This record gives sequence, C-alpha cells and structure tokens, in this order.
Amino acid sequence: MHYQTGSGSCKVPLKRSVATDPMERIERMAAAHAVVIFSDSTCCMCHTAKRLFCSLGVSPVVYEIDQDPRGEDLSKALLRLHGGAAPVPTVFIGGKLVGAIDSVMASHINGSLVRLLKEAGALWL
Amino acid sequence: MASHRVGEPAALSDSGAPHHHHIPYAVPHMLHHPTNSNFINQEGPAFDFGELEEAIILQGVKINNDDKKQHLYTAIRPAATLDMFPSWPMRFHQHTTRGSSKSGEESTDSGSAVNTLSNTPESPSDHRQPPPPPPQMDAAGGIDSPRMSGLQSQPPAKPAPEKTLRRLAQNREAARKSRLRKKAYVQQLESSRIRLAQLEQDLQRARSQGLFLGGGGAASGSISSGGAIFDMEYSRWLDDDHRHISELRTALQAHLSDSDLRVIVDGYIAHYDEVFSLKGAAAKSDVFHLITGMWTTPAERCFLWMGGFRPSDLIKMLIPQLDPLTEQQFMGICSLQHSSQQAEEALSQGLDQLQQSLVDTIANGSVNDSMRHMAVSLGKLANLEGFVRQADNLRQQTLHQLHRLLTIRQAARCFLVIGEYYGRLRALSSLWASRPRESMIAEDNSCQTTSDLQMVQASQNQFSNF
Repeated sequence: MHYQTGSGSCKVPLKRSVATDPMERIERMAAAHAVVIFSDSTCCMCHTAKRLFCSLGVSPVVYEIDQDPRGEDLSKALLRLHGGAAPVPTVFIGGKLVGAIDSVMASHINGSLVRLLKEAGALWL
Repeated sequence: MASHRVGEPAALSDSGAPHHHHIPYAVPHMLHHPTNSNFINQEGPAFDFGELEEAIILQGVKINNDDKKQHLYTAIRPAATLDMFPSWPMRFHQHTTRGSSKSGEESTDSGSAVNTLSNTPESPSDHRQPPPPPPQMDAAGGIDSPRMSGLQSQPPAKPAPEKTLRRLAQNREAARKSRLRKKAYVQQLESSRIRLAQLEQDLQRARSQGLFLGGGGAASGSISSGGAIFDMEYSRWLDDDHRHISELRTALQAHLSDSDLRVIVDGYIAHYDEVFSLKGAAAKSDVFHLITGMWTTPAERCFLWMGGFRPSDLIKMLIPQLDPLTEQQFMGICSLQHSSQQAEEALSQGLDQLQQSLVDTIANGSVNDSMRHMAVSLGKLANLEGFVRQADNLRQQTLHQLHRLLTIRQAARCFLVIGEYYGRLRALSSLWASRPRESMIAEDNSCQTTSDLQMVQASQNQFSNF
C-alpha cells in the first residue's frame, strides 16, 4: 500500500498538484494508479476496504484525506461524486470510479471486481 | 365414583374425571344383576335418548320386568340440550344404548324379552339429533357417570324416578356450567385479540409520529421502541416467509412452467429485499438490538455474524443441496462462496478495529475531558450501524447472485432449501426452550414440543422430496 498525504511525513515523495479544483485533483490522483482508495485514517470502514484489497493480493494506493490540508474539499467532492452515505472510502480502479464500500462489495460478489482489477493490471492470475 | 353410580347423586357434576376408560372398572360396582353384560357388547348407530328418557320417567311409566329395567337404564341419558357439548363417552354410550334398544329387533342374547314400550318411542327420536363428533372434553364429564351407570349398571329393583330426575338435573347443571366456562374463555380470547390489535395500532402510530420512548428501555422495558417495532415487523415477515415457502413448495411439486416459477422466485427475492430494508431502518434506531441478535431465536443467535446470517456458511450449506449443477454453475457458486468469505473477513477486521478504537477511547478518558471523550465514543459507536448495513448488503448481494447463477427451477429449490433450513433452526430453538428439565414437565410445554416436532418432521418430509 502506498500512502500519499498532504503533510510531510510520507513514504512516497509528495507530488504537489497545481490544480486547486478538488474534482480535478481526485481525477488526477485516481488516474495515477491502478487501484486508488480515498480514505480516512480514523475510519474503520476504510480499514475494511483496505483489508479487502489486500486479501485479493492487490496493492492499492491510499489517500488519507484527513491528512490533506484541503481534505474538506476533497471530502465534499467525493460525496458529490458517488452520492453515498460517507465520502470515504471511495475506490477507483483503472481511473474509473467503482464507488463506496457497498458498491465495492456488490461488485466483488457479482464477480466484476476481479475482472476490473485484471483489466487495470492490478491482478495477474 | 362408584358411590354415585349406585345412586348418590351428590358429586355428579364434579365427576369430570371418569372417562370411558373407567367403565371396565366401574362395571363390577354397578352390576346389580349379573346378566347385564350383554349391553356392553352391542353395537349400533348412535342417537339421542334424552327426550325419550325424560318422557318415560316423567310419565311415571312403571317398568316391571328386569329386561325392561335394564333397557330403561341403558336408555338413561342426559337431556337433549347437552348434546351441544358432547364428549367421547356419549358416543360410546350411544353405541350401546342404540344396540340395546335394538335388542328386541336383532334378537341378541338378551333380546328375548322385547321391550315393546321402548321400541316404539324409539323411532321418532331416532333420527332427530345425530350427535356431533364428540371432542374429548372434561366439561361434560358429569354426563359420563350417569350414562356409564346407565350403560353398565343393573338397575335397582325399583327405579327411583326422583333420584333419576335429580341426576338429570345435575347433568344439565354440569353441562350448563361447562358451556358458560367455554363462553367465558372465548370472550377472553376475543378481548385479548382486540387488545393486541390495539397495541399494534398504537405502535404503528407512535412510529409514524417519530416517538421514541428512550432507547435502552427506561420507559418501555427491556427493548427500545425501535427494537420493538422491528420485532413486530419481523414476526410479520416470518409469517410471510412461511407463506412464500409453502408457495414455492407447491409450485415445485406441481411442476409449474418456468415463467410461473419465475414470478414466485422473484417474489421471494423481493421478500428478502424487504427484510433487509426493515433491518436497515432498525439499524438506524437501535443497532444493538440487531447486532446482539435479540430479534432472532437462540439457535440463530448462536450462528450470528454481524447481526444476521453469514453468507459463506449459507452457500456452504447449499452446495450439496443444489445438485445437480453444471461445471460452470459449480465454479460460479464456489467463487461466490470465496468472495463472500473475503468480504466477511474484511468487514470483521474493520469491526475489530472499531472495537479496539472504542476500547482505547473509553479506557483513556480523563476526568477533565469526560464529556468530550463520551462524545468521541458515541461517534465511534455510530459506525456500528454502517457495519451492520454492509453485512446486510453482503447478504442481499449474495442472494441476488445465487439467483443469477442458477436456472429458475434450481433457484426455486435453492430458496426453498434456505427457507426450510431457517425454519428448522427456529423450530430447534423452540424445542430446546421447551425440552424437559428436572422432573417437572408442564403440559403446555410438552404439547408445544409435540407440535414443534411435527413441524420439523413435516418440513423434513417436504425437504426430502428434493
């Protein structure tokens, strides 16, 4: 799992984005990697989402929006994007929105999640 | 018991106990003439002797010879009004009295001395009141003994109309009392039913007005109103479930067309969608009620996972029951089981983290900051609702996926299996609850056990058809 945060303490060098529009930021961040999870470090459901992908053998990239200086905007934008109960966790695969945890679960049960992961190159088996 | 048969009418109305099985024991007491055994053996259709005996006695007819006396006493029966609430021994008595009245016609061993007197009045009263099928009731027990005595006894040398009249009166009294008791019971049932409907109405009204009586049961006892409302809705859902299952079963047995089956199966899916939406609403008002499984039976609670059944366990149970499956179907269902397991694992881990975080917050609350800590804790607790909702979502998705993977006939069988499985689990709970403990077994409990056993066996029989 790779964490990218707005503050200094991170494992990957921070890419400071130029655009301020949260929606654009989200799109750019989502497109950057095969599997992207927008998360909150204190949120347990986000932990569930992370565990699920790890159990599939996938390494998602996680953005903890509570550690982003503009996390508020991101949170609102995410909520607008999928209209769910909570802004996080929100999952993108191959740059495309999968949705909140319920969509992820539903897509895993009906088999489409694995297919999406394979198409995005996150899974090889 | 024998005493009043000999002629003491004292305790007649209390003789609720003497049933037919007491007859053989009473016979020796009641025989005044040794030759009366023939009356026990005679058969014949039953009919009412009430009016007959009253007529005979009230007219003060003297019956002189022994056979006539015998006949009179076998003919003795309580008044016709008591037929409204008959009991088993009445039929037995009718058998033999009928037989005895025909003794003249059929020339049985006693029959030589034909009692023409009793034969003639017999015919008009013959078909007047065909006796209704007699339930086993104690209430009319008071009727039994004089009838039994009439059945078996050798009459005394001189019939005492007075005593007979008294006995008749007491029989009438006993029957009247039992009728009144029955009426009182029925009235009690009716009023309870009305009260129940009233309560349900009140609950519905309270719910629609958004009243909550203090969660956790300060005002309303052990469950909150949200929990109570859900329990009520869930029990209705269970009744619906029972209906759906029967429909599925008959549809499969009747070999309906696929399109007809599809309608029924879709109906069953919608029925499950309904319970998930009910649970969703309940999670908002009282998540603890759901997550602790207080809405389920104890056996179901034993297997509870996050407020309901564990989907992967259900699929594991289903796979052998769904034979025959195509290779593709089998792979699909195994993959479904695997995916469900992964999702369940992820949810469980998320819930573990929530619990850990909650424990940390509560443990580390300082005295100065208690309010804030409580607020934080409350916020974390609120996340429980999300987990129960996701678990229910998982269950719902699993059922839908099963529906997609199977043919319509297989899906019908599959849902029948699911319905019967949970029905049996619930029955197991009731059986367990009413199993005999110590030496005291309440009558009610054992009756319930019997009926539960029958229910389990009935569903077992149905289940084995597939």
